[in-house]
Amino acid sequence: MSISAAETLEWLFHPRPAEGTIDRQTLAELLVELARAVEPRTEQPPGVAPFDPRLEELRRLILGREIELLERLRQVIDDPERLGLAVGRALPTAVASSDVRLGHVLAPALERATETSIRNDPRILVDILQPVIGPAIRKSVGETIDNSFQSLNESLRQSLSWRGLRWRIEAWRTGKPFAEVVLNHSLVYQVEHVFLIHSHTGLLISHVAAPDAATQDPQLVSSMLTAIQDFVRDSFKGSGQQAVDTLRLGDLRLWCEAGPLAMVVAVIRGNPPEDLRIRLRGVIGRIHQDRRQALESFDGDSSGLADVEAHLAACAAMRQQATTRKRGFPWLVFLLAMLLVAGAAGVGYWRWEVAQEQARVRAEQEAEEARIRAEQEARRAAELKAWSDYLDRLRAQPGIVVTEADERDGKFMVSGLRDPLAADPAQILRDTDVDPERVASRWQPYQSLEPRFVLRRLEASLKPPPSVTLLLVNDRIVASGAATPIWISRARTAARELPAGGPTFDVSEVTNIAETTLGELRRAIQSHEIRFNTDEALPSPGQEGVLDTLAGQIKELTTLASSLRLMPRFRVSGHADDTGPSTLNLSLSVARAGAVLALLKKRGVPADLMSIGGAGNLDPAEMGQTERARSLNRRVTVTVRLEDEP
Amino acid sequence: MLGGFSVGKTSLVKRYVESVFSETYLTTVGVKIDKKTVALGDRPVSLILWDLAGEDDLASLRLSYLRGAAGYVLVADGTRPATLEIALSIRKRVEVDYGALPFAMLINKYDLQDQWAISEEKLEELRRDGWWVRPSSARTGEGVEDAFTDLAQRVTR
Repeated sequence: MSISAAETLEWLFHPRPAEGTIDRQTLAELLVELARAVEPRTEQPPGVAPFDPRLEELRRLILGREIELLERLRQVIDDPERLGLAVGRALPTAVASSDVRLGHVLAPALERATETSIRNDPRILVDILQPVIGPAIRKSVGETIDNSFQSLNESLRQSLSWRGLRWRIEAWRTGKPFAEVVLNHSLVYQVEHVFLIHSHTGLLISHVAAPDAATQDPQLVSSMLTAIQDFVRDSFKGSGQQAVDTLRLGDLRLWCEAGPLAMVVAVIRGNPPEDLRIRLRGVIGRIHQDRRQALESFDGDSSGLADVEAHLAACAAMRQQATTRKRGFPWLVFLLAMLLVAGAAGVGYWRWEVAQEQARVRAEQEAEEARIRAEQEARRAAELKAWSDYLDRLRAQPGIVVTEADERDGKFMVSGLRDPLAADPAQILRDTDVDPERVASRWQPYQSLEPRFVLRRLEASLKPPPSVTLLLVNDRIVASGAATPIWISRARTAARELPAGGPTFDVSEVTNIAETTLGELRRAIQSHEIRFNTDEALPSPGQEGVLDTLAGQIKELTTLASSLRLMPRFRVSGHADDTGPSTLNLSLSVARAGAVLALLKKRGVPADLMSIGGAGNLDPAEMGQTERARSLNRRVTVTVRLEDEP
Repeated sequence: MLGGFSVGKTSLVKRYVESVFSETYLTTVGVKIDKKTVALGDRPVSLILWDLAGEDDLASLRLSYLRGAAGYVLVADGTRPATLEIALSIRKRVEVDYGALPFAMLINKYDLQDQWAISEEKLEELRRDGWWVRPSSARTGEGVEDAFTDLAQRVTR
């Protein structure tokens, strides 16, 4: 799919020569046809040559914007750097919103890349794994060494003592291997809990704990143990009678001994001797023997079975403390014992040294791990703080409404509404400590009723003339100054169309330019008429007074308008009476306007504010063919137009 | 606690009971155990709740966890009528394997009124069979305490 899209782009922006040109001949013909449709008298051949530059102009007028847009797009696509930037901007969002297929598509490529990277330089992988594998290997080696030392230590200790001699005799007497006798007597363990659990319901019948042992609610533990038994049996097709008899976690063991109606579970810390299991078996047997009836009718109420606690307590009391080394040496073979003790002491010291070193390494390692953990936590806390600061700042922004903020798959997500006039969240993000790469934002545009945004929107749509100012007064937008009636009416319409609940727009303080001094001056200027004698282009004698007044008023209006930041335009229009041919009248009227313009210019009116025009005899002031009407029609008038200052 | 996938059993249990095990037990062992203590008069009764992982596929439901159960709570999702059918077939299977046990039936997610898709007539029909059926909501707690109290009364009777 992506390939065909790329091909489409290629075709679009790099057309073959034949496709890139315009069939100008056809276009020209079409245009002529169009022209003939409007004006059938248009003659053939058309006055449009296939390469008439006007065709190009037409094309530019109709498609100019699109051509420019396509050109810009083409530049982006042609420039790998800019294309990279554009794709890079869209890629995080695209990846964030993609479905599982992306993972499937990417996986083989990632695998290949990883493989190549490892093949090229295995050290990178080693460096990454080293902190994980190193401690694991050290721990495992440490434990093995520890165990062998412990057993060596035990054997040495036992062989040398008086008690050791006794155990030898016991081994000889019972026929058991000496090692087993030693193990039975010397292993260190403690029974921490004993549970008696009803097999059928999984409910707890009784529970005894050693004084310093901690656990969760024994009732829940007991049911969960039953569930795990069921789980293992179901999952691996064990038979109904069998039960999991050992669970082990580090030096913690759970030994379960199941009877037909109940199960005893001992939680043991350390290395219990096999004897203990036999004792547990004995306990469960005795409980079945004594209380079979009560077990069979057990319904969750254990008050009837209170006496079994004593049996369990006997188990819970079982412990074998580490025995302290005896100081008394055997009286026989004193010398040999001395030598062996010296040897043992040497080994002991050596072992102690090693243990010290191990402890030091372990402590260092733990400190290092703790430091890394603390650093990670601090970094995480700082990151969350920065994120929540960013959200707070967004929420404080007028025109931004955060509707949802979340953290998902290591990405911070924020979505909400944003007025296009509000601050740019990306800019705010850059000012925080949050990594912009980890943030996915989704903003829906909306219009905020925040007064200053409404004000900016009004400014953009109404384009107030420079003579008008829009101000924010207590959540009210007030327009003041002077404006044309058309603008005032547009502003009133805009004020009525503002949505309820937002600021109101008060136009009442804007004065109508037409009703001000400016308006009066304008009316005065427009009321003057400069008269002419028949066929004369220069004003008739005695018009100097009118011209003086007119020039004075024009200059006054120019000054006044300038203070309102308006630019007046004066149109000097000449007229003629109806005698003589109309072509002559037209040129005469233009000449009269030109003469008045010159006279006004002489009186200090800036020429660039004036323009001239002639109406011939087409716009008489008075109808009729009397001499009076004709004299009134030979005239020049001035009209005033006010424009906004550029 | 029995019911189809995602009907809200764990949510019902989560807020109204004592819990020490994590929810991952559900996906690993397939069951999570919680305790609910209700007072019947002045007598406290502890219910040990086995919250079974919800399955829409009845064949994979670990019904062996029901061995020794005193009663059960059936949960369906009121916004998805299919879950009611699943709950009904679970009940049938339980009855085949373990006989008639007391049970309470909760039609959950009652707070989502606008998506509610199970008619009152359907519930009345079930009640006519002598069933204890009540709409419930893990969000508002409606129906939850009642179900446990009522079930405790019936299993201790």
